[in-house]
Amino acid sequence: MNIAVCLCQVPDSASVIGFADGVLDRSRINEVMNPYDEYALEEAVRIKERIEGSSVTVFCVARFSAQDMLRKALALGSDRAVLVSSASEPSDPYQTALYLSRALLEFYSGDMPDLVFCGKQATDFQHAEVPAMLGALLDIPSVSGVTALHLDGGQLSLEREIEGGVEQIELYLPAVLSAEKGLNQPRKTNIKAVMEARKKTIESMTVSVEVAPLVLMTGIVPLKREKVCRFVRDEKELVTLLGMAGSFF
Amino acid sequence: MSKILVFLEQREGVLKQTSVDLWNRVQAFAALSSGSTVTGLIVGPADTRQIGTLFAGTGVVYHASEEPFRSYNQKSSLRLVLELTGMENFSAIYFADSALSRDLAPRLSVSLHASLLSGDLLFDQKGFPDGSVRPVYSGVAMASFAPQQRISIFKLSPSRGSTLRFSGENRVQVMPMKSLQHGIDPLISEVRRIILRENTLDIAEARIIVSGGRGIGSREGFKLLEELAALLGGAVGASRFAVDEGWRPHAEQIGQTGKVVAPELYFACGLSGAAQHLAGIGSAGTVVAINSDPDAPIFQVADYALVGDVHLVLPKLIEAIKEFLKKK
Repeated sequence: MNIAVCLCQVPDSASVIGFADGVLDRSRINEVMNPYDEYALEEAVRIKERIEGSSVTVFCVARFSAQDMLRKALALGSDRAVLVSSASEPSDPYQTALYLSRALLEFYSGDMPDLVFCGKQATDFQHAEVPAMLGALLDIPSVSGVTALHLDGGQLSLEREIEGGVEQIELYLPAVLSAEKGLNQPRKTNIKAVMEARKKTIESMTVSVEVAPLVLMTGIVPLKREKVCRFVRDEKELVTLLGMAGSFF
Repeated sequence: MSKILVFLEQREGVLKQTSVDLWNRVQAFAALSSGSTVTGLIVGPADTRQIGTLFAGTGVVYHASEEPFRSYNQKSSLRLVLELTGMENFSAIYFADSALSRDLAPRLSVSLHASLLSGDLLFDQKGFPDGSVRPVYSGVAMASFAPQQRISIFKLSPSRGSTLRFSGENRVQVMPMKSLQHGIDPLISEVRRIILRENTLDIAEARIIVSGGRGIGSREGFKLLEELAALLGGAVGASRFAVDEGWRPHAEQIGQTGKVVAPELYFACGLSGAAQHLAGIGSAGTVVAINSDPDAPIFQVADYALVGDVHLVLPKLIEAIKEFLKKK
């Protein structure tokens, strides 16, 4: 079984997100693998370990050097790693999905991978659109926010969270799945795997896409949300004030 | 003038409150532009009598009421929206943010080569939507986005923005949606079963949310929050920490990696107010913070604050509210 995993990089939680002249200040940012992509990769590797003859390949459309992250993916169990680049960087989720779809079609020579995993969303821009767009571009079903997965032959049983409950879904391969927190507990790298990953080659691929973005980011500003807070003496005063402020109860 | 489609979600035959709210929000700005029309689409059997008592403004709601559409099917829903768009030539399609729309809207965007915008609406000088704005980078920044294509798809977070109120007179017509192709699509993916949690109001739809964080200290500690929520007809929410500790299910997580909510009243109990959490409550109305640390960042976004141990404050608060309700 061929399994593709799409990875991206995001600032780690210790990074300082600051802005200079309306542009993100990159000087205090350290990029790491998107946390949701870790669940995606882990699930792909677990399926590979269960089904003999399977192969996992990770793909990354990189805005910045993604070598370290791709090495980490190899150490975590991916067989191959592909850095996808193009003349211009993708500027919206549609372009990212388009670049990925072209890369997958070329890499697998028109023969679709059986499963494509993505993280539910990247934690920087939080669009959560690339996986379903990729499914549409590859013309295969997609399921977003998968929290449980069971594979039996060519049939998948999935669960995903919906408002107030859980949806159980069945579908046939091939499919694009986006991983939600809770799908699994990703493993850690170990020294032996890291050493072996160092010996592997990170493949590169260039795709050319001349399609305008669907959406343009027009501005980004630091968020201010200061309110004037009224400190109350006790519970009674709070209830009285809330009683006056609105028809809450 | 523009032709607008509003996708109306049903669950188990009942229209979702977020969909009703969405319809009335769209009506508010459609009324500003003469010649604009608002059309609705319901996929699956649903009680459409609600439309006569809740839906403001004028328009037609198409109803694909066949039984096979009861559960969400990505391909069937997509096909119905595309068929209707082909007939009506919509320039804007609206969804309420939900598990369904997060699954469907990006595919629709590719099929129609349409701009997909999420979050809250941005308006032009005439009061008509021309973009969206939403928190990015864990809620430390706000980014604005503009459509680049002829058709826009909006996936809106719950909001407390202006809505048109139901006038008491039903001017919305329900029409059967006659699909060009009958039945659901061949089984490629199918929802087999929906397991709903019992007696819980979803935080995305709650008017009042009682939310807890690290300071609650344990799974049992949330009993007090459940009691307060039940008293007020609200729902319980949780911070990432509380969910990671296993005190509450992920479905209740509010913030960057959880849900974005817009309740009228939000209680933040024992919750410090990390940027990631605040990203989820930007549209909340009145915020009440209860925390023992007077320097907690949550107080910067709160309207009312009570400094104290949440375990001591909550029982007294519950008593004070009961007292208040008795007098009313």
